[in-house]
This record gives sequence, structure tokens and C-alpha cells, in this order.
Amino acid sequence: MLAWTVYISFLGVLGLMLLPKGNASAARKVAMLSAVAGLLVAVAGFIQFKAGEILTVAKLPWVPSLGIEYHLAADGVSLTLVLLTGLAAVGGILFSWNIEHRAKEFFAFYLALIGGVYGVFLSFDLFLLFVFYEIAIVPKYFIIAIWGSTRKEYGAMKLALYSFVGSAMVLIGLIAAYVVSGAQTMNVLELAKHPFPHSFQVWAFPLVFVGFAILAGMWPFHTWAPTGHVAAPTAASMLLAGVVMKLGAYGCLRVAMTLFPEGLEAWKTWIAVLAVIGIVYGAMVALVQKDFKFVIGYSSVSHMGFVLLGLVTLNTIGLSGAVLQMFSHGIIAGLLFAVVGRMVYERTHTRELSVLEGMNLVKAMPFAAVTFVIAGAASMGLPGFSGFVAELQVLIGAWKAFPTLAVITGVGILIGVAYTLRAIQQAFFGEAKERGAPVPHDDEETKHAEQEIRAPITIPERIGAVLLIGTSLVIGLYPRILLDVIFPSFNSPLFDGLRRVGLQ
Amino acid sequence: MNVSYLELLKLAAPETIVVLTALAALVVDLTSTRDLEARFRFIINGMIACAGCVAAIVWMLVMPAHANALEGMFVVDPLTQVVKIALLGLTLFTVLISMDSTFTEHIGEYLALILLAAVGMMFLVSAEDILMIFISLELTSLSLYILAAFNKRDVNSAEAALKYFLFGGMAAAFTLFGLSLLYGLSGATNLGQIAAALEDKGLDPLLIVAMVMIVLGFGFKVAAVPFHLWAPDAYQGAPTPSAAFIASGSKVASFFIFAKVMMIGFTGGETNGVHEIAGSAAWQQFVSGWTPVVAVVAVLSMLLGNLVAIVQSSVKRLIAYSAIAHAGYMLIGVMAHSGEAVASLVYYAVTYGLTTIGAFGVVAVVEARSKDDQLASFAGLSRRAPVVSLCMMIFMLSLAGIPPLAGFFGKFYVFAAALKTGAPNLGLLWLVILAIAMSAVSFYYYLQVLKQIYVADMPAGAEELRVPVLGQVVLGLIAVGVILLGCAPNLLVGVLQASIKAAGL
Amino acid sequence: MTPLAGYLLLSAMLFAIGLAGALTRRNAIIVLIGIELMLNAANLNFLAFWRFGEHPEALAGIMFVIFSIGVAAAEAAVGLALIIAIYRHYKTANVDEVNSLKG
Repeated sequence: MLAWTVYISFLGVLGLMLLPKGNASAARKVAMLSAVAGLLVAVAGFIQFKAGEILTVAKLPWVPSLGIEYHLAADGVSLTLVLLTGLAAVGGILFSWNIEHRAKEFFAFYLALIGGVYGVFLSFDLFLLFVFYEIAIVPKYFIIAIWGSTRKEYGAMKLALYSFVGSAMVLIGLIAAYVVSGAQTMNVLELAKHPFPHSFQVWAFPLVFVGFAILAGMWPFHTWAPTGHVAAPTAASMLLAGVVMKLGAYGCLRVAMTLFPEGLEAWKTWIAVLAVIGIVYGAMVALVQKDFKFVIGYSSVSHMGFVLLGLVTLNTIGLSGAVLQMFSHGIIAGLLFAVVGRMVYERTHTRELSVLEGMNLVKAMPFAAVTFVIAGAASMGLPGFSGFVAELQVLIGAWKAFPTLAVITGVGILIGVAYTLRAIQQAFFGEAKERGAPVPHDDEETKHAEQEIRAPITIPERIGAVLLIGTSLVIGLYPRILLDVIFPSFNSPLFDGLRRVGLQ
Repeated sequence: MNVSYLELLKLAAPETIVVLTALAALVVDLTSTRDLEARFRFIINGMIACAGCVAAIVWMLVMPAHANALEGMFVVDPLTQVVKIALLGLTLFTVLISMDSTFTEHIGEYLALILLAAVGMMFLVSAEDILMIFISLELTSLSLYILAAFNKRDVNSAEAALKYFLFGGMAAAFTLFGLSLLYGLSGATNLGQIAAALEDKGLDPLLIVAMVMIVLGFGFKVAAVPFHLWAPDAYQGAPTPSAAFIASGSKVASFFIFAKVMMIGFTGGETNGVHEIAGSAAWQQFVSGWTPVVAVVAVLSMLLGNLVAIVQSSVKRLIAYSAIAHAGYMLIGVMAHSGEAVASLVYYAVTYGLTTIGAFGVVAVVEARSKDDQLASFAGLSRRAPVVSLCMMIFMLSLAGIPPLAGFFGKFYVFAAALKTGAPNLGLLWLVILAIAMSAVSFYYYLQVLKQIYVADMPAGAEELRVPVLGQVVLGLIAVGVILLGCAPNLLVGVLQASIKAAGL
Repeated sequence: MTPLAGYLLLSAMLFAIGLAGALTRRNAIIVLIGIELMLNAANLNFLAFWRFGEHPEALAGIMFVIFSIGVAAAEAAVGLALIIAIYRHYKTANVDEVNSLKG
């Protein structure tokens, strides 16, 4: 049944293409319908799932002579991320309800992206996984380049090229693994059993891991992320931070680590160091940004560092922390981008913190302010929100594996608190410093701008905000919903290789 | 030597049908449709040409044959039949995308030449004898030179053809000289016999000269660096449908025969259907003899093709440089020289040909309305002609190797086959790494085209492009084909592998 | 020097002269003549190999030459037609001046 998440999305694309031109509201509805249906299927699949199993969704021969199969399956990790995708998809559409310019195409690209992401999370055949991975890359370029803002073409091209270079590295590794195993199969369950020669793993692992990690925003390959996020329209930022970066992290876990455990062992310290640099560097750069969206963009880099750090701790608590952090960051970053991109930017037409400071936005748009404060609190890792559980687990895992790095990570968290508070303070609670004499509001243009700022937060925005905040709270207060599914999946045969190199 | 001419005619029936169709198109155009409007003439005679292609395809599907006539002069086996069917398919699409064009009044002659070039390619595919290879190569080339020059009003068309001709003539001379040396060394003209005779001779310096000259000749045909100089000019200057045919059909046939000559002629694999053990000392010797030559050509093609394509502003030229790069990828398949590699090579070449015809078809549509093929003429196309734009997106992404389109599977298959050849030590890994890295570069310039189409704003005052329904249907069909072959590669791969097994390569 | 070696040397020289002509001369017709010279050098090779080979009774070599002479004639016809087409547009057959396609 879970396969329908993919099919529904692509059917949505097809439906959108058949719609008559220029009917934005119909396009919106079709997109919403597909996204909600996808979410419902994901939730239903999640409820039916028995913890610990590997659920085969579909398994058909595809290119029999090469041993390639159309093999969709799910374990706890992928199911968690499928659920996240469903939530982020619905949230993204809610926050792009106001798109009028070429709306049909926008939602078609959007749903194609979502379909690709669902596909990646559900693929257990590496060829199929790669196919969906690339399907997810292409629409991003168009969404950003057509509907984006600030230096959109540059941001879009940079993002597309980084992604494509990453996927090229992955492809080399996959083909090499396929040939070296000699098993005529791309099934990850089969390949995970194959003992690849140590010398092969030592070069194939970094190739595939870094290839995926580029998309996960690993320092120093993260530079596409801030520019891409800033250039992207709100919904695309939400998806980029919410699910696309998770594609990378998921690929690291599912492909690089399961296939080449010895390679991981050889390289884990290096990757952990890079991850921690990412955490601290992202946070420090976020602290000095002038553009509101850049703050969030760099915070994403910082938070994704936790995911990578959790992955290489090689203990189940770190791993489950990483998966939970993927989920949690997907929700929270989506929310933050929604506030900045949709609620604030679309009304004030600026993201300069120094300009926003003078607008006293807490009065103009209290709902946005409250949402952002909550989301900021969640992002800082305040107890009660999902981020707390996730980052705590990663820290515990890291403490066991790399105590020194865990301490430095702690510093990163503190800086995280600092930049979030600074952003909240400057954006919403700035003293309305009257620069010079107060300008009398008789100017037509100023009045118009004023009106726009005071335009009420629309219903879709409210629903979206409540949905995302609610999810973060539920997971924060009762993390067992996800952990009960995530933990048992580390006992599956997929992780045998990692257990051999010391997964506890 | 007793030959039953009736048998021979039956074996060569598809070729005969196509030749007769060429004559029919010529006669019908000269006698009956002469006074009609150009559009109708094109449609009527085009339909005749299409019918001929379809008839030949049907003949091959209904009457599968397996024979070796005149000691390898004309070999018909399942593999050559598949390639011929693919070639006829490409010919068919070339005819269909040229129906909308207005560059010539000599419609019968134009179609006849396309069909004759196709016949040359078909014979080329069937040849296992250097004489037949040379003659059919020349039949193809001469027809294509004229096709490139067909727009008599256009300076560029004549120039493109002259450059194509001069480089081609020189390459033909090199090929012939190389073949003469090969004949001298072995005393035979049949590829299998040549290989057998060379086996005990070892790596003669004269053989190296012959090898290099033959690689040079084929390198020209497939537009590989450093024999590529004609390609950008020929693609840009020639009438668009002619360029499409040069880029697709000619490439498929040339790559097939290139691989065949290298694999059979230079490896001692086959003697009149009797297979010797590949992997003998002599086999190793020859393989190590020609692979470095091809490797250098492949590397140069991938580098130069992709890097120069980045700075092009003419879309046809961009496709030409990308064609050079694709030749580089395909040469990796030639180097792998295994049965699977041939399957992957044919798959790659056929899907590449199909995609390129589609891309040229879109260029033709735009060119007909804006009079040039500059990138800027494509600005905002997605709002002026959504269907055509969507097709172009599919073609470009397929050329860039984005799944689930045919181009991706082709690359995957070629690279996997190449790695398998060197299996435990991954001998060709460095080439595959370079190829994949370069295809990441290629993504950039294909996106440039798509950026113009989808992202750039329409020029002020631009109206909706009126694209004839037939044109849209043809482009749509090609696009569906590209998607289908990508999503269900087994349609072609299964057939190819079965036929390679049957042909015993 | 065996006769075969002599012929081969001659044909190699012819080929080289033809190639040099084709590469250095600017007039398209002279280039065409150079190409023809190269083709004929190959023909000479075939004849020499056939005459002094192990099986002169098999006519493969001479057949090859007959066909290739035919092909060369066709090639010359096409080539001259193209040169005339160029001459109509440019009023010259100098290949250096035929350079509107660049990039």
C-alpha cells in the first residue's frame, strides 16, 4: 500500500498537466488532494507497520538480465522519513497557497519532487533508489529558478550542480559495487551481505558517503544549502530543508554505511570531525547573518551536522538520534522557513534583519511572532519539542564514541541558542527605532506597504503552522511513537555489517 | 562459388525494399506530384518513404533469417536485424520530422537520398568483409554529404557539406589505406579470416599503422576527437533533418561496425562461424594493441566535447559538441569488447539516436519560426509551445543521463559492462569515473537550454507558436519512446541479449 | 629490395604527397586531388599485395581496386558538385575564405 505514496504523487503531476491553463485554484486543489492522500497513505502504513520487520511493498523483476528489480520496501527508518515527507508536502502546499504565477507548473514540479523523495525512502533496490534520487533533483532546479527570489538562477544552478556532482559520485560507487560483488543484483539486502574487499571499501565508502552527504549539507560541501534556501520560494525551502537534505543523510545510512561497514570504520573519525565542524561553523555563521533567511539556512547546516554525527557514532542511540533528528529538523526547519519566507517576506518584502528590526513586527503580525518563537524554541532544542530528544540522543551517542567532539558539539548548541534568540529579538521584538523624524503616513505607497504588512495571516498558513508545531510537540512529549519503530529496525539483517564493525 | 541469387535477394529483401522505395519516391515526385504545393508533395512522398521503411521492418520481423552469404560479404543474424530495424526506425523519424520543412523543392531527391543513406547503413551493419564495409561506408557518406548540402539557398549548408566532405574524403582515404595494409598482412578480406591470419603474426609495426588508420577513419564517422572538426559545422550548417540523420543513423551504424571490426578483425575471435577461445595470448596482444588508441580518443572526446559545449550559443552546435562527448562514452563500450558491451553499445547508440532526432526536431520547429537556432530564440518557449517544450525537456534530460529516461540506462549499462570486462581489478574504472564526472559537467549545458525554455521570460510580443499537429505527434512519439525505453529498458535489452547469444558474438 | 617493398614504398610516398597536398593547399579542388591521390595510393597497395601475395589466383585484391575506383569516381563527382555550390555562394573555391560557421 505504501507504494501508493509514490504513485499518487506522480498521478498528481499527470493530473496537473492535463488541467487547463491559468486555473491556479484548481491546480492548488489537485496538488493538495495528492499531498493529503499521500500523507494519509503514509500514516496508514505507519500505523499498520509491525516494528522490526522489513515490509516488502512491491517486488517485481525490472531488468532481469542485469538483476535489477522494482523493489519497494520499508523498515522503521524509511517509514519515519516517509511520514516526514507526507507532513512536509502538505505543509509546503499550505504555505504556497498564494502562488498565482504559473501555478500549474509549480505544483507539477512540486509533486514530482515529492514523488521522487517518497521513492528514495522506499527503494530497496539501489538502481531504483538512484532513479528516484535523480528524479528528486531536477524539479528543484526549476522550482527555484522560476519561482525563487534573491539571485535565484545562481542559487538554483549551484544547487543543481552540487547535487548532480554528488549523485555522479554515488553512481560510480554503485556501479563499482554492483560489478565487484558479481552477484547480478542491486538489492540492498543482498549486497549488504556481500563482504566487499577491504581495499575496495576504503575508497568506495568515502565516495558514496560524501556523494550523498553533499546533499545532506556536510561541511565543507554545504555552500549550496544557504544560497539555495535563500533563493528558493517558501515551499521549496521547506522541502529542501525538510526532506531533500534528508535524502542525502538517508543515502549515507542506507547505502554507504550498510554496504561498506569497514570503510565506515576507517573513515568515521574524519566524518565525525567534519560533522562537528559543520555544527559549530554553521551556528557561528548563522550568528552574524544580516539576511533572516540566511540565518535559517545556516542553522540547517548546523542541525544536519547532528544527523551526520549521529550516524557515525556507531551505536544505536546515536543512530536513532540521527534518524529522529532528520524527522525533527524536517518539521522545525520547514516551520522556520515558512515564517520567514511566507509570513514575513511576502508581507514586508525584505529579509534584512536590520530593516525588520524597525518594523516592530510583533505588533503587526503577532501570529507569525508566536509561531517563530515556538519554532525557535524547538530549534534550540528546548525540552518538550522533538529537537530536544533527538539532539540529546545524538549527544549521548557521541559521548560514547568521541567524547572530545561531544564537548565541542555542546558549544555548538549554545551558539545555536544565541543565534536563534538574536533572530527572534531582531526580527520581531525590535524597538521601533524611529529613524529620524517619523514619516507621516500620507504617502500612498507607504500606506500600501503598511496595509500589506498588516494583512492577516491566512487560514492555510494557520493550519500549516499548527500542523507542524503540533507534530513537533507530540514527538517531543511522546517520542516513543517514532522510537518504537526506529530502534527495532537496527536489529534487522541490514545492519549485520555494521554490527561486525562494532555497532552496539 | 555457387550463389543462389534468389536466396541472396531474399536475404537482402529489406535493403531491396528500401532501394525500391527510394526509386518510387523519386519517380512519383517527378511524374505525379510535381505541380502540387510543396507541403502536400512532402506529405505524399514522405508517406511513401515511411511505408517503405515500415514494410522493410515488417519483413524482418516476419521473416527472421540467419545466414552468412558470400563468405561474410552479407551476414544476416538476429543482431544485425535488430540494428537494422532500429536504423529504419530512425530513418522513419527523420523523414517524419522533415515533413514540415521548406528548405528544398527537390523533395523526391531528398527523400531518395535519405533512404539510400539508410540502405548504406543497413549493408554496413551486415558486412563482415572489408570490401563491403568500405563500399557501404561510402554509400552512406556520399548520400549524407549531399543531404548536408541540400539547402541550396543557404551559404551555411554548402559550407557545412564541403567541410564534411573534405574531412570525410580524407578519412575515407585513411580507412582504405589501412584496409589495404590489413589485406596485405593477412591476404584475406573477410574479418574472421583476417583475424585468424593475424593471430600467428604478432604485433607487426605495419599492423599498428593499419589499426591506427582504421581507427582514424571510424573516429571520423563517429565524430570522436581529434577527428571531430567537421561535426559542429556540419550539424549547424546542414538542414536540421539532415543533421539529425547524420547525428543518429550514421552514428548507430558506424559504432556498430566499429565495434565489430575491432572485436572480430583484431581479436581473432571468429573464423567463418567457428569460435576460437578468446583469451589466448594473441587475443591479449591485439587487445592491448588497440585499446590504448581508442582510450586516448575516448578521453579526448569526453573532455573536449563537454567543455566546449558549455560555451556554445547555437543549440545545434551545442548538440554537436555533446554528440562528440557521447561518442566518447560509447567508445568506452567499444573498448569493453564483450558480448554484453556490444548489447550496451547498441542500446546506447539507438536511444541516443532517437533522442537526438527528437532534439533536432524541436530545433527545427523553433528554427522555422525564429529563423535561427540561437539559445535566445528558445526563451520562454514553454509558454509559447508547451508540448514541444516538454518534449525538449525529456530529450535534454535524457541526453544528460537523468533517470528514468533512456539516456540514463544507456550510460549505466555501458559503464557496468565496461567495468565487468576488467572485473576483479576494475581495469576501466578510471575511464568510467571520467565519463561520469564529465556527464555531471554536461548537465550544466543541457540545463542552459532548459533554462531558456522554462525560466527565461518570453521576448516581448511573442505569440503562441503554431506547431503542426503532425509535428507535435511525432515529437510526442519520440518522447514517449525515450521514456518507455528508459522505464522499461528490458524491451530492447532483452532482445539484444538474446540476439547476441544467437549471433554468437 | 623485393618488388613488393618497392611498390609499398611508392604507394606510401603517393599517400604522403596526397596528404600533404590535402592539408596544405587552400584551393578546394587541389584538396580534392590530394584526396584522390591518397585513395589511389591505397589502390596501388591492394594491387601490389594481390600480385605478390600468396594467392594471386584469388581475385580479392583486384576486385577491391575496381570497386574503389568506382567509389572514388562517385566521390569526385559529389565533391565537385559541392565545390560548385560553394563557388556559387562565395565566388571562390578557397577553403580559407569559406568560414562563416564558427564557434
